[in-house]
Amino acid sequence: MRPLTLTRLLLRCSILALILFAVVVVAMKLGAVQVSLYGLGKDLISLLLHRTSSLSSDYGMIVLGIRLPRILLAIFVGASLSVAGVSFQALLRNPLADPYVLGVSSGAALGSIVALIVEGRLDLSPEMAGLITPVGAFLGATITIAAVYILGRRDGQIDSTTLLLGGIITASFLQAVIMFLMTTLSGNNLRGSAFWFMGDLSTPQPRSLQYLLAFGFVIAAGAIYTTASDLNLLLAGEKEAMHLGVDVPRVRIVVYIAASILTGLAVSVSGTIGYVGLLVPHVMRLIFGSDHRMLIPASALGGAIALVIADTLARTVTSPTDLPVGAMTALAGAPLFIYLLRRRIA
Amino acid sequence: MQHSSAHAMRRARIFASALLLLGALPVRAQSFTPPPASAAPAPAMREVVDEFGRTIRVPQIPMRIVSLAPSLTETLYALGVQDRLVGDTDYCDYPPDAQKKRKVGGPINPNLEEIAALHPDLVLVTKEINRLDTLRALDTLGIPAYATRAQNVDEILSTTQKLADLVGVPETGKSLTADLQARLAALHAKLEALPPSRVLFVVWARPLISVGKNTFIADALRKADATSIVDASQDWPQMNLEEVVRLQPDYLVFAASHAESAARDFEALSVLPGWRLLDAVRNRRFAVISEAVNRPAPRIVSAIEDLARQLHPSAFQDALAPEKPAAPAPPPSNPPASSPAAHMTMNTPLFAWELACAR
Repeated sequence: MRPLTLTRLLLRCSILALILFAVVVVAMKLGAVQVSLYGLGKDLISLLLHRTSSLSSDYGMIVLGIRLPRILLAIFVGASLSVAGVSFQALLRNPLADPYVLGVSSGAALGSIVALIVEGRLDLSPEMAGLITPVGAFLGATITIAAVYILGRRDGQIDSTTLLLGGIITASFLQAVIMFLMTTLSGNNLRGSAFWFMGDLSTPQPRSLQYLLAFGFVIAAGAIYTTASDLNLLLAGEKEAMHLGVDVPRVRIVVYIAASILTGLAVSVSGTIGYVGLLVPHVMRLIFGSDHRMLIPASALGGAIALVIADTLARTVTSPTDLPVGAMTALAGAPLFIYLLRRRIA
Repeated sequence: MQHSSAHAMRRARIFASALLLLGALPVRAQSFTPPPASAAPAPAMREVVDEFGRTIRVPQIPMRIVSLAPSLTETLYALGVQDRLVGDTDYCDYPPDAQKKRKVGGPINPNLEEIAALHPDLVLVTKEINRLDTLRALDTLGIPAYATRAQNVDEILSTTQKLADLVGVPETGKSLTADLQARLAALHAKLEALPPSRVLFVVWARPLISVGKNTFIADALRKADATSIVDASQDWPQMNLEEVVRLQPDYLVFAASHAESAARDFEALSVLPGWRLLDAVRNRRFAVISEAVNRPAPRIVSAIEDLARQLHPSAFQDALAPEKPAAPAPPPSNPPASSPAAHMTMNTPLFAWELACAR
């Protein structure tokens, strides 16, 4: 294997970043409303040069007010899910692990439903009401992750198999609670949550939440990246890694918490979007190999690219009606996953 | 400040309205000081409070209205302001002309870009089928959105009046709601002496979904001198057939766009085990009313009258000629040729519920 130099790492990342930029430009162009990128660029430049005081309203409101925030949200969610996917796959040493495998999405869904129920009882200001669903979802996700973590411990040690099974059972239990709540409660708001289960990026998030998401991503993904070399050694096996001087329990807890935070943040604003966190790391591994120092940033960029494409399709295929983006990723992801699986066997 | 003047303007606007509010409060308490001449806002704007208690700023006469629910679209047509309706949803099918309006997607997942591109000065949403997220998104974008909610027939009428005031045709609204009130009062006078029919309103047959007691549909049934046998507080309860058999409704009530298709549906049900245990099924006592009953809009009154005629034909036989020379419409004793395999194909606008339960 050729050694991974810093130059090579940066070169590959900038190629991916260029692809992401190109995808974003195309995504800005496509949508229910036709816009000319040339016109937008001209307007933006004259705005920056203070020649005009405002953008024309089509550009200002539709492209910058609606489309760009949605694209940025897709970038954040895609990157978070993919980095979380890489982390869980390395941590559990299981190629089927994805951000949702530990019951996180079910916990977040339950949290959001409880938040909607609570919101109906309280008299909140619109700003607070807009935040309560993401907060509820995030709390639901973190509580579930903590519970699954406790379930997955054996003799004070994390056991991958127990953790996985604990996550799957917790998820199905929480699904049952959700079905119970949805059939017994008479909340009109619950129709929103049904949409949420399929993944939804269409709701613009408040500015404060956007900063919080970006900040959370940088911290959590950064924490995971500090363990990249340790994760490489972990691939050889836990005992082997320990002999090579890796503080395995510390790595495990850091990666576990950071990946859970990433998943919780993503799911709290977008609902359940499947396959991105599972597939993107596999594709990146095929292209760049399994060195986590390369794999983690590559997955972040690749996940962003994949989700921006998926969301652009979700916005445009049946325009003006939006498809849930989760349906889009599953439609494309499931066949691709089967293809990768067969290829590996062959 | 330079980075986005739209934001700055919105902030200034919020600041200005906050100032106005702050100024208005003590003034109201003192009541003799005339309200301060407001610092010259755009002249034709005014503040209104919607049915969620939100304060929004709209033009005196909104000229570009987007409706995000079929019931709201119908109400705008009933008020005669359809020319100012510039966009509605995929589900807005009544009156047929509403289908020709520019579509902005479905009520649950409207396309924000499409709405913004229409440059509306008023967007109408309703608690019945729209999402709160949509309302918040419109707020974020600075598009004035007026939210309605109507939980019974009286509130449907008052909402109609408020919408009439909002779009600047208060007189039309008054005569429309007065007419509807009069029809409801006439109906009430006719039916007062009769014992109510006990009915099962069938929203969906497999599984059996009916309406809860707090819905406007249950209230519409009451106005037609019918009581729903369902006493659930959920809006769309799934009913246990055993319980329905125990309660033995006098009539099954279907809402459908075509009476024939509902009759077919009834035939399909009547061959199923369990359903045959219902007296109403064995005796072919079922009523089919217009889908209008599913929409909190003025047309619901016609559906109520129609249902009353089918459930209580005796009250309509005397010479007190009803305003509409409609056929007596007794329960069809001889429905058209049946196709037992027909699926339930009622086009209720309850896709919200479908969505919720399909997953």
